Amino acid sequence: MSPDQFFQYLISGITQGSIYALVALGFTIIYAVTKIINFAQGEFVMLGGMLSFTLINAAGIPFVPALLLAVLSTAVIGAVLYILAIRTARKASVVSLIIITIGASIFIRGIVRQFLGVDSVRPPFFSGDESLVVMGAIVRPQALWIIGTTIVVTIILHLFLSCTMIGNALKASAISKIAAAKVGIDTRTMALCAFILAATIGGISGIVMAPLALTSYNVGVMLGLKGFVSASIGGFKSPIVSVIGGITIGIVESLAVGINWGPFTSSYKDAIAIVVLLLILLIRSGRLATEERTA
Amino acid sequence: MDKLDLTIEEGIITAVIGPNGAGKTTLFNLIAGVYSATDGEIFFQGKRINSIPAHKRVSLGIARTFQHALLFGNMTVLENIMAGQHIRSRYGILEAALSLPNAHREEKAIFLEATKYLNLVGLGMEKDREALSLPLGRQKLLAIARALATEPKILLLDEPGAGLTTIEKRALSDLIHRIIDMGITVLLVEHDMPLVMGLAEKVIVLDRGQKIAEGSAAQIQRDKKVIAVYLGEEAEE
Amino acid sequence: MLKSIKEKWIYLVIAILLILIPFDWFLGKYNTLMIFIGLNTMVTVGLCLLMGYTGQVSLGQAAYYGIGAYFSAILSKTYNVDPWLAMLIAAVVTGTFAYSIGYLIFRLKGNYLAMATLGIGIIIWILFRQLSQFTGGPDGMSGIPYLSIGGFVFDTPFKRYYLVWFFTLALLFISQNIIRSRTGRALRAIHGSEDAAESIGINVAQFKVKIFVLSAVFASLAGSLFVHHLRFVSPQQFDFLASVKLVVMAVIGGLASIWGAIFGAATTNILSDELLLNFGELDIVVYGLILMLVMIFMPQGLFVKLKEIIVLWRARAAEKEKI
Repeated sequence: MSPDQFFQYLISGITQGSIYALVALGFTIIYAVTKIINFAQGEFVMLGGMLSFTLINAAGIPFVPALLLAVLSTAVIGAVLYILAIRTARKASVVSLIIITIGASIFIRGIVRQFLGVDSVRPPFFSGDESLVVMGAIVRPQALWIIGTTIVVTIILHLFLSCTMIGNALKASAISKIAAAKVGIDTRTMALCAFILAATIGGISGIVMAPLALTSYNVGVMLGLKGFVSASIGGFKSPIVSVIGGITIGIVESLAVGINWGPFTSSYKDAIAIVVLLLILLIRSGRLATEERTA
Repeated sequence: MDKLDLTIEEGIITAVIGPNGAGKTTLFNLIAGVYSATDGEIFFQGKRINSIPAHKRVSLGIARTFQHALLFGNMTVLENIMAGQHIRSRYGILEAALSLPNAHREEKAIFLEATKYLNLVGLGMEKDREALSLPLGRQKLLAIARALATEPKILLLDEPGAGLTTIEKRALSDLIHRIIDMGITVLLVEHDMPLVMGLAEKVIVLDRGQKIAEGSAAQIQRDKKVIAVYLGEEAEE
Repeated sequence: MLKSIKEKWIYLVIAILLILIPFDWFLGKYNTLMIFIGLNTMVTVGLCLLMGYTGQVSLGQAAYYGIGAYFSAILSKTYNVDPWLAMLIAAVVTGTFAYSIGYLIFRLKGNYLAMATLGIGIIIWILFRQLSQFTGGPDGMSGIPYLSIGGFVFDTPFKRYYLVWFFTLALLFISQNIIRSRTGRALRAIHGSEDAAESIGINVAQFKVKIFVLSAVFASLAGSLFVHHLRFVSPQQFDFLASVKLVVMAVIGGLASIWGAIFGAATTNILSDELLLNFGELDIVVYGLILMLVMIFMPQGLFVKLKEIIVLWRARAAEKEKI
């Protein structure tokens, strides 16, 4: 692989990885506050893209309002998911919650398939598709939008968590639900906020990636899985690590396709994230087994 | 645990007492194998058991109960005790799946043995009731019966008297004496002083992970260090 | 280890029904549906035991169905191995594989374990797609031979119905025997309280792995029979959605229930056929709804909840009679 090619694959990897990073953020936020793994996280991304296409191309709504509406709708769906499915389940076990969120994810997928069809669609580019040349690599403007959005979202999220009342309350809930409750923070409201926040970020990543990567009712599964892997690198605790994790996975995938040797081919690309996941779980389980019971 | 050095004498009732947080349950968990000792050695009947996992220690003869009984709520009283016989029987999945005769034979033996322990603790009338439908006092008896069904050499009882009425405590006392008569060593953790003093032939006092006194009930009642530790606890309250 | 006379009568009635179903004058037109219900029941009962007694969810169970299917297909078609031997080999391979990963993944808890099962399921699916020299790739393989005993070939749905249900009932009875045995007691103990189970000498980790292997072997056997029925196998049949469908069946049937598995498999199969016929693509919407509603309102499973309701009904009817 020549340096030019390497750089090309690197850029492509960072672009894809930025998407994973945003998905990972959603997982991390919900898990940190509620200890729930939201298997429907990938569907929020799918909804962002599909809704933006439907609103702009099918309903003819002007560009910027349509994007805002798409993200808003996704956030609302996130809230509804929490209120109807998760909050009502109250004392559900971990297994039950897993099955509930999986049910929610396929339900959402099914509804979208029913009403918006099975075809892959492409909403319009944010600023056209004239490729730029950056340091010898060809970069499409939408890719820059993706990377830029990820950076901006990460910074805003960080500021939100550190500087606002709600943000601080979320952080407190993440550290200890019991302690947070004692200072008067309502855990259920925090959980709702976490879901809305995660859905919003998911929706944003959806609208920004759909023009470049296409979207269809089905994209949520793999995105969700890879976002999960990225988030698990940081143990679902730190947003920053989740973002770094996502970008890393994106780069590794891209380089593997570039190397194109042995198992590192494009057909096995999806397997890479899973293998990473299994390795992480292996290492984690080893540590869990030994640290759990010593005195 | 902090440089703890103790020996449990076979065949007698030993009680471990101490203020809250002294490390009594930790001690039990170490002996039972739930916790791994980071430093030091544990011997059982001359054999070093540090590296033996919890579930294997049961077949060696170490049985325990929990403060909160931890009964199998999805089973009846008798079934809980029969579960205790698990490691004393052999037949496996294959024989069970094919419903072979030796499986039936062993099941019958398990049933009979379990019934013995059922009657020993006085739960004969309740054998088919759901385990959790028993009142607390009898739940604790069930937990003891289940532990006994593993045919242990030593039985560790974690606060068996907690939450019991005076009558129930007397029944518990009698049961523990019967257990000793069966040749099983008893080690118990208790907060109820009269119960301990009436039962225990030897008492070990822990405070903050260390052994501060050891002796007969009468001796440790007079021990100045023990009084100070307990008085200190009272003063805090 | 049958428990009562009433039980023996119920089994007799069910047996007679099952024997009569495939005849044309009875319910013969549903033969193929019944075959699939039988196959799905075999996988579901293993899944119910796994999820019910270890308290963990398997999101990749279809992969073991697939391993059984592909090994049977490849060995019997490409390598001309006797189909029965191929089925046995497939089961051994699946069981060994499950055993080797079992200890690793059962050290994980809750969410992580679920993700591990999901990841493994997807990797196996990817392998089905990519190892095309063996598996025929995304287009799959066809022309798989029928099973036969001596000269008797299972070449009609009528004959295969009996074959499949023989295995289905065998597995159900085996599961029941296991649950009523010492092993079953140990499993129920683990389900009741892992710490207490450990304290009476039960090797919790080992049991979880054993049940996992059992569920994988059941799925493998079903997969082999599946492939000798349909004579066609492709990766699509074993994707994530297939695993989700199995979870739906287990959830409807009841997570620690054995005979509920038939109910779960039957309901789901009939439902999915109906849905596909009349409503096109709504099947996953309905599955999603079922999963959510059942787990929110009756986590012990639909079948078990229905049994409870029937018992309550009868009690109330008895009350009214007294008055």
